[in-house]
Amino acid sequence: MDPQTGCSQNQPGLKLPAGPVSDEIPPDLAGLVRFAKLDEIIALSRANSLWPLTFGLACCAIEMMASGMARWDLSRFGAEVFRPSPRQADLMIVAGTVNKKMAPAIKTLYDQMPEPKWVIAMGNCAISGGPFVYPGQYAVVEGVDKLFPVDVYVPGCPPRPEALIEGILELEEKLTGTRRWPRVETQ
Amino acid sequence: MLLTKEQALARSTHSVGGPNETFVLNLGPQHPATHGVLRVKLTMDGEFIQRAEPVCGYIHRMHEKMGENRNYSQFLPNTSRLDYLSAMQYTHAWVGVVEKACKIEVPERAEYIRVITSELNRIASHLVGWGAWVMDLGGFTPILYAFDDREKILDLLEGICGARLTFCYYRFGGVVNDVDAAFLQGTKDFVPYMRERMKMYKKLVTGNIILRKRIEGIGMISQDMCRRYGACGPVLRGSGIQHDVRRAEPYSIYHKFDYEIPVYHECDSMARYLVRMDEIEQSLRIIEQALATFPEGPFVNPKVPKFVKVPAGDYTYATEAARGRFMVRLVADGSDTPYRVKLRTPCLANLSLFEEACAGMLLPDALAFMGSLDLVIPDIDR
Amino acid sequence: MSSSPTAEQLHAEFAALYPPAPVAEKPAPAPEPAPVAPAATPDASGAPVAPAPKPAAPKAPVGPILQTEPPFGATAVDFAARGFHLDLSIPAADVVSVAERLYRHEFSLDTMTGVDWMKLNQMEVVYDFVHFTTNLHVVVRCRVPRDNPELATISSVFQGALWHERETHDFFGIRFLGHPNLVPFLLPEDATYHPLRKDFAGASD
Repeated sequence: MDPQTGCSQNQPGLKLPAGPVSDEIPPDLAGLVRFAKLDEIIALSRANSLWPLTFGLACCAIEMMASGMARWDLSRFGAEVFRPSPRQADLMIVAGTVNKKMAPAIKTLYDQMPEPKWVIAMGNCAISGGPFVYPGQYAVVEGVDKLFPVDVYVPGCPPRPEALIEGILELEEKLTGTRRWPRVETQ
Repeated sequence: MLLTKEQALARSTHSVGGPNETFVLNLGPQHPATHGVLRVKLTMDGEFIQRAEPVCGYIHRMHEKMGENRNYSQFLPNTSRLDYLSAMQYTHAWVGVVEKACKIEVPERAEYIRVITSELNRIASHLVGWGAWVMDLGGFTPILYAFDDREKILDLLEGICGARLTFCYYRFGGVVNDVDAAFLQGTKDFVPYMRERMKMYKKLVTGNIILRKRIEGIGMISQDMCRRYGACGPVLRGSGIQHDVRRAEPYSIYHKFDYEIPVYHECDSMARYLVRMDEIEQSLRIIEQALATFPEGPFVNPKVPKFVKVPAGDYTYATEAARGRFMVRLVADGSDTPYRVKLRTPCLANLSLFEEACAGMLLPDALAFMGSLDLVIPDIDR
Repeated sequence: MSSSPTAEQLHAEFAALYPPAPVAEKPAPAPEPAPVAPAATPDASGAPVAPAPKPAAPKAPVGPILQTEPPFGATAVDFAARGFHLDLSIPAADVVSVAERLYRHEFSLDTMTGVDWMKLNQMEVVYDFVHFTTNLHVVVRCRVPRDNPELATISSVFQGALWHERETHDFFGIRFLGHPNLVPFLLPEDATYHPLRKDFAGASD
């Protein structure tokens, strides 16, 4: 980098004006150039390439698979790269019932995922134990948020693929602060 | 060239611990090839399996206990969450056992609807099993086609019962909603469409040399083994035993239709694959015949009380689900709550022979074999 | 011995082995009035091989509930009404020999399970057998005392029972003597509770 011009020495590049660098974008470049904090750019990148963990528990996993398939096509939102290893994933979609035998394993999976990481609790079982909760029940963990923090809850038994996609859009909004797609208002 | 275990061992004598060194490999409960939360503890001798011990219970959901503390209708949603891929047949067994015990009449139209929806569900289930299995073996494309066709079935079923997966459509004495003209027309159109697709699937996958080399001769299950473990469904029919609950103990109105029970005698994974593919075609045949003679009339018996009380005694009722024989054993005490519900699930029986069948097998072959059993893990753990 | 018996042949064979208790005897007071005595039911390790008479008279009926023992011996059942052809109530000591007999007839083990008859202080173990060519269904039951539920494993005959027995042990605490690996199957590895017992009051943790 040429300390005088701020340009790479291999390329001629633009000469920066002398004096303090301004935050103002020249009017003729306003349509092309945006300034942003690095954090925001990273958040935008993360939001557009969420890598979920291939991790199905029960019925909801089939709808999660369906979301990745041709009709619902999760790859429109950059979230179709299901990784079999938690080391490569940054999003855990808990799709199904977590029981007490499974809880240590799922906690380990969560701990194995590198930061930053997010969790979507998909379906009523992952939210609260769903239909399997009754007084005196002996097997089901009543909500995966008893094990680790959850970012987005997607209700349904099982949720439709649209619901999961909406959950992913919601997570994107949580990351970037803006919504990628206009919200569909219900009457 | 595939080595036998002895040949491979003879070559590996220079390894660190000698030929008798084994190690334990843990597979699951989170592993993409186990289709859920199955865990297998493998004792490995190099790449060969000495012992494979499935460990179950990671999705045990107390279905049998729940049967004892809720009334007969309240248990209906549970039945569709056992093997969620063939929810219709499972619900059918539950309503069937109550109807048998209480001697509830089912209108003919309702029986026709049950047969059509059950068979549609069977096709959808086989498509998922087929696609996921071929994906395990390394071919990603077929599952995209399979889910595409499956969505067509789900659209039809969603139109009549509102659910895409865990249908809770049958009720004691009938079904919850009548079918409409759109469903009947859609199903009628689906049959020739699916037949065309089956031709394409055969070209794409069945004749594929890579697939055949992976699954032919792999995972042999003898007839005696089937008997000792109680194997059922396509696993049984791939071993040359022509047993199908629809034919053996005709329930509903299956005796009215003309269809074949596909059976293959090779006893290997390919035989089970072919049984499933043939079953899709037979299901289409049943649907076609049912549509041709589809009767008018009520879709539910209006005289069924809201809270059924089952006379004391024990009853069993079996249906042929997509993965095999699903049986409900109901012990009733005369009240509106079951005394004991036993759910005999096909995947438990089919997986229980895994340990014996894959001793001495190569690890990748064992995964191909596991795919041929077409497991649904919540069905095992209940 | 034919490998594909008809329902009648099977019934005759087992009725000869386990003659049903005479009907006239029923209203008469039972010879053993103490139903709690564990010796009333032959336990699996014990010697009594000969079909014992009905072990204990049922208590006074407790409400409308089905709280009586099934009739001892072989009973032909209407398949259309109940879903099986032959109902076989046997002493727990004979379960392996009956399983072997059914295996020789080419029956397959369909499933097995337990039922907790708390008010009778008994556990019932129910085996379902199915025949793949004749489509016959045989239900084999045996009752064991509830405070010491033990009987022999049939996993040497039907290996499918390995898992079913582990599951039954999980749910009811019934011990299967001779089972090679009777550890929790569906419950966590360290589970000590038996949730399908009628007096189960929730897991401790």
